[in-house]
Amino acid sequence: MAENFEQHSDVSAADLARLTQEAQAEATPSTAKIIWSEFKADKPAMAALFIIVGFILFVMIGALFINTPKMMETNIMGYFNQPFTPEYWLGADSGGRSVAKQLIVGSRNSIGIAIGLTVISSTFGICWGLISGYFNGYIDWGMQRVYDFMMMLPMTMMIIVLVTIIPHYNSVTLTLIFSIFYWEGTSRLIRSRTLAESEKDYVSASRTSGTNHWKIIFREIMPNISSLIIVDCTLSFAENIGVETGLSYLGFGLPSQTPSLGTMIANANDPNNITQYWWTWLPAALEIIILCLSISYVGQVLRRAADASQRQGAAD
Amino acid sequence: MSLVEIKDLKVHYPIRTGFWNRITDSVRAVDGITFNIEAGETYGLVGESGSGKSTTGKSVVGLEKVTSGSIMYKGVDITKKANRTKLDYNQDVQMIFQDSLSSLNPRKRIEDIIAEPLRNFEHLSKDDEKLRVLQLLDIVGLDADALYKYPHQFSGGQRQRIGVARAVATNPKLIIADEPVSALDLSVQAQVLNFMKKIQREFGISYLFISHDLGVVRHMCNNIAIMNRGRLVEIGTREDIYNHPLHIYTKRLLAAIPETNVNQRAAHRASRLAVEKIYQEQQSKYYDENGEAFPLIQVSPTHAVALPENIAKQLASQEGEVQA
Repeated sequence: MAENFEQHSDVSAADLARLTQEAQAEATPSTAKIIWSEFKADKPAMAALFIIVGFILFVMIGALFINTPKMMETNIMGYFNQPFTPEYWLGADSGGRSVAKQLIVGSRNSIGIAIGLTVISSTFGICWGLISGYFNGYIDWGMQRVYDFMMMLPMTMMIIVLVTIIPHYNSVTLTLIFSIFYWEGTSRLIRSRTLAESEKDYVSASRTSGTNHWKIIFREIMPNISSLIIVDCTLSFAENIGVETGLSYLGFGLPSQTPSLGTMIANANDPNNITQYWWTWLPAALEIIILCLSISYVGQVLRRAADASQRQGAAD
Repeated sequence: MSLVEIKDLKVHYPIRTGFWNRITDSVRAVDGITFNIEAGETYGLVGESGSGKSTTGKSVVGLEKVTSGSIMYKGVDITKKANRTKLDYNQDVQMIFQDSLSSLNPRKRIEDIIAEPLRNFEHLSKDDEKLRVLQLLDIVGLDADALYKYPHQFSGGQRQRIGVARAVATNPKLIIADEPVSALDLSVQAQVLNFMKKIQREFGISYLFISHDLGVVRHMCNNIAIMNRGRLVEIGTREDIYNHPLHIYTKRLLAAIPETNVNQRAAHRASRLAVEKIYQEQQSKYYDENGEAFPLIQVSPTHAVALPENIAKQLASQEGEVQA
């Protein structure tokens, strides 16, 4: 076999190193390099990236130095303390608890839940959609009926019921409860693209090359819909921050002694707070707006990097 | 014994209708075709679009689920998936696709694309594998710097040659070429075709060459089968088909080859119209009452046509062909 090829080609083992080097000189840059050059071409996105990374690192590390139970103790002396004082940088709420510290711990909790929820629900949704779309036929039919059933359940109500049933819930169980319901949109989106993608010739070519189904799904089809996956993940991350916040605002999210962005925005329930004590809710609201905007900027850059025709970065 | 023996191959697609989605009818894409592919030869499969030639090719390579009939390779029926896996069938039978761009994964580098069958069937070491890919690139006339590029960075002809390199990678015995050049412009067509011929000479590969372009088929194939509405209407050598066509469908296909001689435009037009007139008037003679082709009748050792026996004999003697 090997001799057969050697006979008809001038290339031999001796040339291997030289040719590899030649090829590497001409190589197309890797995905990581493309993404980086895209960021360099888009200054606002670069700033957004630094804001997100810096902020997440800051709250994750900062929260380690804060004693949460002690912070959440009521301190009557600090009742609605004004902001920008040495002890209360961002003022205090009706319990005399520091808003700045609550903001740090609360962001840690909310962002942690959002990250966990995005990872779990997107992973599951992507796998579900890919498998359902690729195998088609009866498998697709069965999987889509499960999907239909899940879609039929009233999501918010189910979450509220589950939260009331489970006695000692914390951010981990809350994440898991959310994950049961948040994979559906992703899975339908991914399935529709997979259906189209698995009809293409390169999938047939892989099959005639003897590649097995799982490898075709995750190594051939998935990279080809990666732009869709990236955009969907970033958007659902921004959305998932809102999910926890929304439920906590309604009072069904994290328990009240655990601060989160939602419980802080819930301060705005009180008209007094809105008009006089703006510092109790405004920082958390601003933070959510800035974070979500930044995430969507970064998502746009990633999408452009995944699609050669939209790139703005320096070519090669 | 032939390399591949296709016997009474049928591929039907169900049509589902009504509230219960029951199967009420079927589309007979391929409806009982029989032919053999010999080792080292190029077998042409010709027909209009929708005649079932691509479906036939896909069944032979194992991409299409066969309704009935058998495809024998090394004495085993490869229409069953278990047999294909046992034989490592696709190591020996590969495919070249019509659309070179969509047949190469846009997210993979050329090295990974060409090495894919090698990784699945041959399990070479990393250096051996890279060497083999470089040799293949050299054989199809591409430089080593193609190795780490992506498919969209190449021209159509180059991409089709990468497709050829991938198909040749495991040194197969048969390659199904499904309209390999119909998406390319003429100068590149010749380049790729000559290339496929050169590889055939060097590696002793058989081709099942699927095409609607009779000029290309004449250049490539020794034996030709004409397909119409899922059935074979005429089988023969290149000589038989081009010089002594018997079935009206073959004649129509031949008449449809464009002629570039402008001076004889009127004459060509007249002969085309004459063929078309015979077709319109004598359809009942050439097709059975359901509008389908008859079973094949042997008129000479190499030549068979789908006509009732008496008509076939009569036409054959008109054409002055040697009787079987």
